[in-house]
Amino acid sequence: MIKIDGLTKYYGEQKAVDNLSLSIPEGTIFGFLGPNGAGKTTTIKMIVGINTPDSGSININGRTPFMPSAREEIGFMPEEPHFYDQLTGLEFMRFAANLFSQKSQAKESLEEILKKTGIYEARNKKIKNYSKGMKQRLGFAQALVNDPKYIFLDEPLEGLDPIGRRELKIMLENIKKEGKTIFFNSHILSDVENICDQIGIIHLGKLIYFGSVDNFRKDKSLEEQFVETIKKL
Amino acid sequence: MRNILIIAGNTFHQAIRDKILYGIIIFALIFIGSSVVISSLSLEEDIFVIRNFGLAGIYIFGLIITVFLGASAIYEEVERKTTYLLLSKPVTRADIIWGKFLGLLAGIGTTILLMAVAYLLILLVSGGSLDFPAILAVMLQMAEVALLLAVLIMFSIFTTPLAATIYTILILYIGHVLPLIQEFAIKAGGTTKYLLMVAYYIFPNLEKFNIRNLVVHNIPIPPKEVLLSLGYSAAYILLALFIAQRLLNRKDM
Repeated sequence: MIKIDGLTKYYGEQKAVDNLSLSIPEGTIFGFLGPNGAGKTTTIKMIVGINTPDSGSININGRTPFMPSAREEIGFMPEEPHFYDQLTGLEFMRFAANLFSQKSQAKESLEEILKKTGIYEARNKKIKNYSKGMKQRLGFAQALVNDPKYIFLDEPLEGLDPIGRRELKIMLENIKKEGKTIFFNSHILSDVENICDQIGIIHLGKLIYFGSVDNFRKDKSLEEQFVETIKKL
Repeated sequence: MRNILIIAGNTFHQAIRDKILYGIIIFALIFIGSSVVISSLSLEEDIFVIRNFGLAGIYIFGLIITVFLGASAIYEEVERKTTYLLLSKPVTRADIIWGKFLGLLAGIGTTILLMAVAYLLILLVSGGSLDFPAILAVMLQMAEVALLLAVLIMFSIFTTPLAATIYTILILYIGHVLPLIQEFAIKAGGTTKYLLMVAYYIFPNLEKFNIRNLVVHNIPIPPKEVLLSLGYSAAYILLALFIAQRLLNRKDM
Protein backbone atom coordinates (compact mmCIF):
# COMPACT_ATOMS: atom_id res chain seq x y z
CA MET A 1 0.00 0.00 0.00
CA ILE A 2 1.08 3.55 -0.71
CA LYS A 3 0.18 5.81 2.21
CA ILE A 4 0.71 9.55 2.12
CA ASP A 5 -0.16 11.62 5.13
CA GLY A 6 -0.26 15.41 5.47
CA LEU A 7 2.33 15.98 2.74
CA THR A 8 3.35 19.63 2.41
CA LYS A 9 6.02 21.24 0.28
CA TYR A 10 7.01 24.87 -0.06
CA TYR A 11 9.03 26.48 -2.85
CA GLY A 12 10.11 29.70 -1.19
CA GLU A 13 6.93 31.30 0.11
CA GLN A 14 4.69 29.33 -2.21
CA LYS A 15 2.95 26.20 -1.01
CA ALA A 16 3.31 23.74 -3.89
CA VAL A 17 1.64 20.84 -2.06
CA ASP A 18 -0.73 21.50 0.80
CA ASN A 19 -1.44 18.84 3.42
CA LEU A 20 -1.98 16.05 0.91
CA SER A 21 -3.17 12.66 2.14
CA LEU A 22 -3.76 9.59 -0.03
CA SER A 23 -4.07 5.89 0.45
CA ILE A 24 -3.63 3.67 -2.60
CA PRO A 25 -4.32 -0.07 -2.29
CA GLU A 26 -2.05 -2.76 -3.75
CA GLY A 27 -2.61 -3.91 -7.31
CA THR A 28 -4.51 -0.87 -8.51
CA ILE A 29 -3.96 1.86 -11.09
CA PHE A 30 -4.23 5.33 -9.62
CA GLY A 31 -4.45 8.42 -11.83
CA PHE A 32 -3.30 11.70 -10.33
CA LEU A 33 -4.88 14.57 -12.24
CA GLY A 34 -4.70 18.31 -12.14
CA PRO A 35 -4.08 21.36 -14.28
CA ASN A 36 -0.54 22.57 -15.03
CA GLY A 37 1.23 23.76 -11.89
CA ALA A 38 -1.21 22.00 -9.56
CA GLY A 39 1.56 20.10 -7.74
CA LYS A 40 1.42 16.70 -9.46
CA THR A 41 5.10 16.48 -10.36
CA THR A 42 6.18 17.93 -6.99
CA THR A 43 4.13 15.21 -5.29
CA ILE A 44 5.45 12.32 -7.38
CA LYS A 45 9.06 13.52 -6.90
CA MET A 46 8.58 13.37 -3.14
CA ILE A 47 6.91 9.95 -3.30
CA VAL A 48 9.86 8.41 -5.16
CA GLY A 49 12.40 10.02 -2.83
CA ILE A 50 13.90 12.66 -5.12
CA ASN A 51 12.86 15.62 -2.97
CA THR A 52 11.95 15.73 0.70
CA PRO A 53 8.68 17.22 1.99
CA ASP A 54 8.61 20.09 4.50
CA SER A 55 6.14 18.08 6.54
CA GLY A 56 4.11 14.90 6.30
CA SER A 57 5.04 11.30 5.69
CA ILE A 58 5.18 8.80 2.84
CA ASN A 59 5.03 5.06 3.28
CA ILE A 60 5.43 2.56 0.49
CA ASN A 61 4.91 -0.97 1.66
CA GLY A 62 5.62 0.28 5.19
CA ARG A 63 8.92 1.93 4.29
CA THR A 64 9.91 5.52 3.64
CA PRO A 65 11.28 6.16 0.13
CA PHE A 66 13.98 8.40 1.61
CA MET A 67 15.92 5.27 2.54
CA PRO A 68 17.78 4.26 -0.64
CA SER A 69 17.14 0.55 0.05
CA ALA A 70 13.36 1.19 0.04
CA ARG A 71 13.66 2.37 -3.55
CA GLU A 72 14.61 -1.18 -4.64
CA GLU A 73 10.86 -1.79 -5.05
CA ILE A 74 10.13 1.41 -6.97
CA GLY A 75 10.15 2.13 -10.68
CA PHE A 76 9.92 5.75 -11.81
CA MET A 77 9.56 7.38 -15.18
CA PRO A 78 9.96 11.18 -15.06
CA GLU A 79 8.12 13.60 -17.32
CA GLU A 80 9.96 13.98 -20.66
CA PRO A 81 12.86 11.84 -19.47
CA HIS A 82 16.40 12.91 -20.31
CA PHE A 83 19.24 10.44 -20.63
CA TYR A 84 22.98 10.36 -21.21
CA ASP A 85 23.06 11.12 -24.92
CA GLN A 86 26.35 9.38 -25.68
CA LEU A 87 25.03 6.01 -24.51
CA THR A 88 22.90 3.61 -26.54
CA GLY A 89 19.48 2.56 -25.28
CA LEU A 90 20.76 -0.86 -24.23
CA GLU A 91 23.80 0.64 -22.45
CA PHE A 92 21.52 2.94 -20.49
CA MET A 93 19.28 0.01 -19.52
CA ARG A 94 22.35 -1.91 -18.28
CA PHE A 95 23.47 1.13 -16.30
CA ALA A 96 19.99 1.54 -14.76
CA ALA A 97 19.75 -2.17 -13.89
CA ASN A 98 23.19 -2.22 -12.26
CA LEU A 99 22.12 0.45 -9.79
CA PHE A 100 19.83 -2.10 -8.14
CA SER A 101 20.97 -5.00 -6.02
CA GLN A 102 21.09 -8.35 -7.81
CA LYS A 103 17.86 -9.60 -6.26
CA SER A 104 15.92 -6.53 -7.40
CA GLN A 105 16.88 -6.81 -11.03
CA ALA A 106 14.14 -7.85 -13.44
CA LYS A 107 13.73 -11.56 -14.03
CA GLU A 108 13.27 -10.97 -17.72
CA SER A 109 16.27 -9.79 -19.69
CA LEU A 110 16.78 -6.16 -20.55
CA GLU A 111 16.25 -7.02 -24.19
CA GLU A 112 12.86 -8.52 -23.34
CA ILE A 113 11.84 -5.30 -21.59
CA LEU A 114 12.99 -3.31 -24.61
CA LYS A 115 10.91 -5.56 -26.88
CA LYS A 116 7.86 -5.20 -24.65
CA THR A 117 8.17 -1.41 -24.64
CA GLY A 118 8.72 -1.22 -28.40
CA ILE A 119 12.24 0.18 -28.42
CA TYR A 120 14.20 -3.01 -29.12
CA GLU A 121 15.02 -2.15 -32.73
CA ALA A 122 16.74 1.06 -31.62
CA ARG A 123 18.62 -0.53 -28.71
CA ASN A 124 22.07 -0.04 -30.27
CA LYS A 125 21.47 3.52 -31.44
CA LYS A 126 22.85 6.43 -29.41
CA ILE A 127 20.09 8.06 -27.36
CA LYS A 128 20.92 11.46 -28.85
CA ASN A 129 19.40 10.16 -32.10
CA TYR A 130 16.11 9.06 -30.47
CA SER A 131 12.82 10.83 -31.18
CA LYS A 132 10.68 12.15 -28.33
CA GLY A 133 8.43 9.10 -28.52
CA MET A 134 11.43 6.73 -28.42
CA LYS A 135 12.80 8.50 -25.35
CA GLN A 136 9.38 8.17 -23.74
CA ARG A 137 9.42 4.42 -24.40
CA LEU A 138 12.97 4.09 -23.06
CA GLY A 139 11.88 6.07 -20.00
CA PHE A 140 9.16 3.52 -19.39
CA ALA A 141 11.50 0.60 -20.07
CA GLN A 142 14.09 1.81 -17.52
CA ALA A 143 11.35 2.04 -14.89
CA LEU A 144 10.86 -1.73 -15.22
CA VAL A 145 14.50 -2.91 -14.92
CA ASN A 146 14.13 -3.87 -11.26
CA ASP A 147 10.79 -5.66 -11.65
CA PRO A 148 9.25 -3.05 -9.30
CA LYS A 149 6.18 -3.64 -7.16
CA TYR A 150 5.29 0.05 -7.32
CA ILE A 151 5.50 1.98 -10.57
CA PHE A 152 5.32 5.77 -10.71
CA LEU A 153 4.89 7.47 -14.06
CA ASP A 154 4.89 11.22 -14.65
CA GLU A 155 2.90 12.05 -17.80
CA PRO A 156 3.76 8.71 -19.47
CA LEU A 157 1.43 9.26 -22.43
CA GLU A 158 2.92 12.62 -23.36
CA GLY A 159 4.79 12.59 -26.69
CA LEU A 160 3.44 9.21 -27.78
CA ASP A 161 1.43 8.80 -30.97
CA PRO A 162 -2.04 7.15 -30.73
CA ILE A 163 -0.53 3.70 -31.38
CA GLY A 164 2.08 4.23 -28.69
CA ARG A 165 -0.55 5.45 -26.23
CA ARG A 166 -2.68 2.40 -26.87
CA GLU A 167 0.31 0.05 -26.46
CA LEU A 168 1.29 1.71 -23.20
CA LYS A 169 -2.24 1.43 -21.83
CA ILE A 170 -2.28 -2.28 -22.67
CA MET A 171 1.11 -2.66 -20.95
CA LEU A 172 -0.18 -0.90 -17.85
CA GLU A 173 -3.18 -3.22 -17.69
CA ASN A 174 -0.90 -6.26 -18.04
CA ILE A 175 1.39 -4.96 -15.32
CA LYS A 176 -1.62 -4.45 -13.08
CA LYS A 177 -2.61 -8.08 -13.66
CA GLU A 178 0.79 -9.07 -12.21
CA GLY A 179 -0.36 -7.48 -8.95
CA LYS A 180 1.73 -4.33 -9.25
CA THR A 181 0.55 -0.91 -8.16
CA ILE A 182 0.70 1.94 -10.67
CA PHE A 183 0.56 5.63 -9.81
CA PHE A 184 0.57 8.02 -12.70
CA ASN A 185 0.21 11.71 -13.38
CA SER A 186 -1.60 12.75 -16.49
CA HIS A 187 -3.60 15.48 -18.07
CA ILE A 188 -4.82 13.30 -20.97
CA LEU A 189 -8.14 12.58 -19.30
CA SER A 190 -9.63 10.33 -21.97
CA ASP A 191 -6.79 7.84 -21.35
CA VAL A 192 -7.12 8.01 -17.59
CA GLU A 193 -10.83 7.35 -17.83
CA ASN A 194 -10.34 3.89 -19.33
CA ILE A 195 -7.63 2.41 -17.18
CA CYS A 196 -7.75 3.88 -13.67
CA ASP A 197 -9.37 2.20 -10.69
CA GLN A 198 -9.15 5.38 -8.69
CA ILE A 199 -8.26 8.99 -9.33
CA GLY A 200 -7.10 11.91 -7.25
CA ILE A 201 -7.53 15.50 -8.40
CA ILE A 202 -5.15 18.17 -7.18
CA HIS A 203 -5.57 21.90 -7.64
CA LEU A 204 -3.23 24.59 -6.27
CA GLY A 205 -1.55 21.93 -4.16
CA LYS A 206 -4.74 20.72 -2.47
CA LEU A 207 -6.46 17.42 -3.07
CA ILE A 208 -10.01 18.18 -4.16
CA TYR A 209 -11.20 14.69 -5.05
CA PHE A 210 -10.15 11.16 -4.27
CA GLY A 211 -12.17 8.11 -5.31
CA SER A 212 -13.44 6.18 -8.32
CA VAL A 213 -13.70 7.65 -11.80
CA ASP A 214 -17.44 6.85 -12.02
CA ASN A 215 -18.24 8.60 -8.76
CA PHE A 216 -16.50 11.71 -9.98
CA ARG A 217 -17.80 12.02 -13.50
CA LYS A 218 -21.41 10.91 -12.75
CA ASP A 219 -23.25 11.17 -16.08
CA LYS A 220 -20.63 13.33 -17.82
CA SER A 221 -17.32 12.58 -19.46
CA LEU A 222 -14.30 12.81 -17.16
CA GLU A 223 -13.01 15.80 -19.12
CA GLU A 224 -16.28 17.73 -18.86
CA GLN A 225 -16.61 17.08 -15.16
CA PHE A 226 -12.94 17.90 -14.56
CA VAL A 227 -13.12 21.27 -16.36
CA GLU A 228 -16.36 22.16 -14.57
CA THR A 229 -14.95 21.27 -11.16
CA ILE A 230 -11.74 23.24 -11.67
CA LYS A 231 -13.62 26.28 -13.01
CA LYS A 232 -15.86 26.34 -9.94
CA LEU A 233 -12.87 26.66 -7.61
CA MET B 1 30.49 2.03 -2.92
CA ARG B 2 29.07 -0.21 -5.67
CA ASN B 3 26.80 2.52 -7.03
CA ILE B 4 29.63 5.08 -6.91
CA LEU B 5 31.68 2.83 -9.20
CA ILE B 6 28.71 2.21 -11.52
CA ILE B 7 28.07 5.96 -11.84
CA ALA B 8 31.81 6.54 -12.29
CA GLY B 9 31.92 3.97 -15.12
CA ASN B 10 28.94 5.56 -16.82
CA THR B 11 30.43 9.06 -16.45
CA PHE B 12 33.73 7.83 -17.92
CA HIS B 13 31.98 6.30 -20.95
CA GLN B 14 29.94 9.42 -21.48
CA ALA B 15 33.05 11.66 -21.18
CA ILE B 16 35.35 9.79 -23.54
CA ARG B 17 32.73 9.69 -26.29
CA ASP B 18 32.55 13.46 -26.50
CA LYS B 19 33.74 14.67 -29.90
CA ILE B 20 34.91 18.02 -28.51
CA LEU B 21 37.27 16.12 -26.22
CA TYR B 22 38.83 14.40 -29.23
CA GLY B 23 39.40 17.82 -30.80
CA ILE B 24 41.24 19.04 -27.71
CA ILE B 25 43.37 15.86 -27.55
CA ILE B 26 44.36 16.16 -31.23
CA PHE B 27 45.33 19.78 -30.63
CA ALA B 28 47.35 18.74 -27.56
CA LEU B 29 49.20 16.02 -29.47
CA ILE B 30 50.04 18.48 -32.28
CA PHE B 31 51.33 20.93 -29.65
CA ILE B 32 53.50 18.30 -27.96
CA GLY B 33 54.66 17.01 -31.35
CA SER B 34 55.63 20.48 -32.47
CA SER B 35 58.32 20.49 -29.77
CA VAL B 36 60.44 18.38 -32.16
CA VAL B 37 60.36 21.14 -34.80
CA ILE B 38 61.01 23.91 -32.28
CA SER B 39 63.83 21.98 -30.60
CA SER B 40 65.60 21.66 -33.97
CA LEU B 41 65.97 25.45 -33.98
CA SER B 42 67.80 25.45 -30.65
CA LEU B 43 71.55 25.18 -30.23
CA GLU B 44 72.34 21.76 -28.71
CA GLU B 45 69.38 22.15 -26.36
CA ASP B 46 66.97 19.78 -28.14
CA ILE B 47 66.08 17.66 -25.10
CA PHE B 48 65.71 20.70 -22.85
CA VAL B 49 63.23 22.29 -25.30
CA ILE B 50 61.26 19.06 -25.77
CA ARG B 51 60.97 18.58 -22.01
CA ASN B 52 59.94 22.20 -21.51
CA PHE B 53 57.40 22.17 -24.31
CA GLY B 54 56.13 18.69 -23.62
CA LEU B 55 55.48 19.18 -19.90
CA ALA B 56 53.92 22.62 -20.50
CA GLY B 57 51.65 21.12 -23.18
CA ILE B 58 50.53 18.26 -20.96
CA TYR B 59 49.80 20.74 -18.17
CA ILE B 60 47.90 23.33 -20.24
CA PHE B 61 45.79 20.83 -22.17
CA GLY B 62 45.18 18.81 -19.01
CA LEU B 63 43.72 21.94 -17.45
CA ILE B 64 41.59 22.72 -20.50
CA ILE B 65 40.16 19.18 -20.46
CA THR B 66 39.51 19.38 -16.71
CA VAL B 67 37.56 22.62 -17.03
CA PHE B 68 35.72 21.37 -20.12
CA LEU B 69 34.56 18.18 -18.41
CA GLY B 70 34.18 19.40 -14.85
CA ALA B 71 32.42 22.76 -15.15
CA SER B 72 29.05 21.32 -16.08
CA ALA B 73 29.35 18.01 -14.18
CA ILE B 74 26.52 18.36 -11.69
CA TYR B 75 24.88 21.42 -13.26
CA GLU B 76 23.97 19.43 -16.38
CA GLU B 77 22.70 16.48 -14.35
CA VAL B 78 20.33 18.79 -12.47
CA GLU B 79 19.33 20.97 -15.43
CA ARG B 80 18.71 18.03 -17.75
CA LYS B 81 16.97 16.17 -14.93
CA THR B 82 18.99 12.98 -15.33
CA THR B 83 19.22 13.15 -11.54
CA TYR B 84 15.55 12.09 -11.45
CA LEU B 85 16.48 8.77 -13.02
CA LEU B 86 19.29 8.25 -10.52
CA LEU B 87 17.70 9.45 -7.28
CA SER B 88 14.54 7.40 -7.78
CA LYS B 89 16.81 4.33 -7.66
CA PRO B 90 18.81 3.18 -4.61
CA VAL B 91 21.31 5.98 -5.21
CA THR B 92 22.24 8.75 -2.76
CA ARG B 93 23.31 12.27 -3.63
CA ALA B 94 26.76 11.43 -2.24
CA ASP B 95 26.96 8.53 -4.74
CA ILE B 96 26.34 11.01 -7.56
CA ILE B 97 29.06 13.42 -6.36
CA TRP B 98 31.70 10.73 -5.85
CA GLY B 99 30.69 8.79 -8.97
CA LYS B 100 30.94 11.90 -11.12
CA PHE B 101 34.28 12.84 -9.56
CA LEU B 102 35.86 9.43 -10.07
CA GLY B 103 34.44 8.99 -13.59
CA LEU B 104 35.62 12.39 -14.77
CA LEU B 105 38.99 11.91 -13.09
CA ALA B 106 39.37 8.61 -14.94
CA GLY B 107 38.51 10.39 -18.21
CA ILE B 108 40.95 13.22 -17.57
CA GLY B 109 43.59 10.73 -16.38
CA THR B 110 43.26 8.76 -19.61
CA THR B 111 43.81 11.85 -21.75
CA ILE B 112 46.78 12.98 -19.63
CA LEU B 113 48.25 9.49 -19.88
CA LEU B 114 47.86 9.62 -23.66
CA MET B 115 49.68 12.96 -23.79
CA ALA B 116 52.41 11.68 -21.45
CA VAL B 117 52.99 8.60 -23.62
CA ALA B 118 53.24 10.83 -26.71
CA TYR B 119 55.74 13.05 -24.87
CA LEU B 120 57.89 10.10 -23.74
CA LEU B 121 57.91 8.61 -27.24
CA ILE B 122 58.99 11.92 -28.76
CA LEU B 123 61.72 12.21 -26.15
CA LEU B 124 63.00 8.68 -26.86
CA VAL B 125 62.89 9.17 -30.63
CA SER B 126 64.81 12.45 -30.23
CA GLY B 127 67.64 10.69 -28.42
CA GLY B 128 66.60 11.28 -24.82
CA SER B 129 66.23 8.62 -22.14
CA LEU B 130 63.15 7.51 -20.23
CA ASP B 131 62.23 10.60 -18.25
CA PHE B 132 61.29 9.37 -14.73
CA PRO B 133 61.24 12.86 -13.15
CA ALA B 134 58.78 13.92 -15.88
CA ILE B 135 56.54 10.99 -14.95
CA LEU B 136 56.62 12.29 -11.36
CA ALA B 137 55.74 15.78 -12.60
CA VAL B 138 52.74 14.37 -14.51
CA MET B 139 51.71 12.44 -11.38
CA LEU B 140 51.70 15.65 -9.35
CA GLN B 141 49.82 17.36 -12.16
CA MET B 142 47.15 14.66 -11.78
CA ALA B 143 46.92 15.51 -8.07
CA GLU B 144 46.44 19.20 -8.97
CA VAL B 145 43.86 18.38 -11.64
CA ALA B 146 41.96 16.13 -9.19
CA LEU B 147 41.87 18.98 -6.68
CA LEU B 148 40.61 21.44 -9.31
CA LEU B 149 38.01 18.94 -10.49
CA ALA B 150 36.66 18.60 -6.94
CA VAL B 151 36.44 22.40 -6.70
CA LEU B 152 34.72 22.57 -10.11
CA ILE B 153 32.18 19.95 -9.03
CA MET B 154 31.49 21.98 -5.88
CA PHE B 155 30.94 25.14 -7.96
CA SER B 156 28.83 23.35 -10.56
CA ILE B 157 26.20 22.60 -7.91
CA PHE B 158 25.22 26.19 -7.34
CA THR B 159 26.37 28.03 -10.43
CA THR B 160 26.40 27.87 -14.22
CA PRO B 161 29.25 26.19 -16.15
CA LEU B 162 30.55 29.59 -17.30
CA ALA B 163 30.64 30.99 -13.77
CA ALA B 164 32.21 27.75 -12.46
CA THR B 165 34.90 28.05 -15.16
CA ILE B 166 35.64 31.68 -14.24
CA TYR B 167 35.85 30.90 -10.50
CA THR B 168 38.15 27.97 -11.17
CA ILE B 169 40.46 30.01 -13.39
CA LEU B 170 40.65 32.59 -10.59
CA ILE B 171 41.47 29.86 -8.07
CA LEU B 172 44.07 28.50 -10.47
CA TYR B 173 45.71 31.90 -10.72
CA ILE B 174 45.57 32.64 -6.99
CA GLY B 175 46.68 29.07 -6.21
CA HIS B 176 49.87 29.57 -8.22
CA VAL B 177 50.76 32.97 -6.74
CA LEU B 178 50.07 31.94 -3.12
CA PRO B 179 53.78 31.60 -2.22
CA LEU B 180 54.23 35.22 -3.38
CA ILE B 181 51.19 36.28 -1.35
CA GLN B 182 52.69 34.57 1.70
CA GLU B 183 55.99 36.38 1.21
CA PHE B 184 54.21 39.70 0.79
CA ALA B 185 52.06 39.05 3.89
CA ILE B 186 55.12 38.41 6.05
CA LYS B 187 56.68 41.67 4.88
CA ALA B 188 53.42 43.66 5.16
CA GLY B 189 52.63 42.96 8.82
CA GLY B 190 49.56 44.30 10.67
CA THR B 191 45.98 43.57 9.55
CA THR B 192 47.05 43.07 5.93
CA LYS B 193 49.26 40.23 7.03
CA TYR B 194 46.39 38.44 8.80
CA LEU B 195 43.97 38.97 5.89
CA LEU B 196 46.49 37.66 3.39
CA MET B 197 47.37 34.71 5.61
CA VAL B 198 43.66 33.78 5.85
CA ALA B 199 43.55 33.82 2.03
CA TYR B 200 46.76 31.76 1.99
CA TYR B 201 45.16 29.02 4.06
CA ILE B 202 41.74 29.06 2.34
CA PHE B 203 42.90 28.85 -1.27
CA PRO B 204 44.64 25.71 -2.47
CA ASN B 205 48.39 26.16 -2.85
CA LEU B 206 48.80 24.82 -6.37
CA GLU B 207 52.53 25.55 -6.49
CA LYS B 208 52.94 22.48 -4.30
CA PHE B 209 52.25 20.43 -7.44
CA ASN B 210 54.57 22.32 -9.76
CA ILE B 211 57.88 20.52 -10.10
CA ARG B 212 58.17 21.07 -13.85
CA ASN B 213 60.97 23.62 -13.47
CA LEU B 214 62.95 21.27 -11.24
CA VAL B 215 62.48 18.45 -13.76
CA VAL B 216 63.53 20.54 -16.76
CA HIS B 217 66.67 21.81 -14.96
CA ASN B 218 67.52 18.36 -13.55
CA ILE B 219 67.22 19.50 -9.93
CA PRO B 220 66.54 16.59 -7.50
CA ILE B 221 62.99 16.33 -6.14
CA PRO B 222 62.65 15.48 -2.43
CA PRO B 223 60.31 12.44 -2.10
CA LYS B 224 58.95 13.81 1.20
CA GLU B 225 57.69 16.95 -0.59
CA VAL B 226 55.99 14.82 -3.21
CA LEU B 227 54.21 12.75 -0.57
CA LEU B 228 53.14 15.87 1.33
CA SER B 229 51.72 17.37 -1.87
CA LEU B 230 49.74 14.20 -2.60
CA GLY B 231 48.34 14.23 0.95
CA TYR B 232 47.50 17.93 0.62
CA SER B 233 45.57 17.23 -2.59
CA ALA B 234 43.65 14.32 -0.99
CA ALA B 235 42.68 16.47 2.02
CA TYR B 236 41.49 19.33 -0.17
CA ILE B 237 39.49 16.96 -2.42
CA LEU B 238 37.78 15.42 0.62
CA LEU B 239 36.85 18.87 1.92
CA ALA B 240 35.56 20.17 -1.46
CA LEU B 241 33.50 17.04 -2.13
CA PHE B 242 32.13 17.06 1.41
CA ILE B 243 30.93 20.66 0.88
CA ALA B 244 29.56 19.66 -2.54
CA GLN B 245 27.65 16.82 -0.94
CA ARG B 246 26.14 19.13 1.69
CA LEU B 247 25.14 21.65 -0.98
CA LEU B 248 23.53 18.99 -3.15
CA ASN B 249 21.64 17.56 -0.17
CA ARG B 250 20.02 20.94 0.37
CA LYS B 251 19.07 21.38 -3.26
CA ASP B 252 15.51 20.74 -4.49
CA MET B 253 15.57 18.96 -7.84
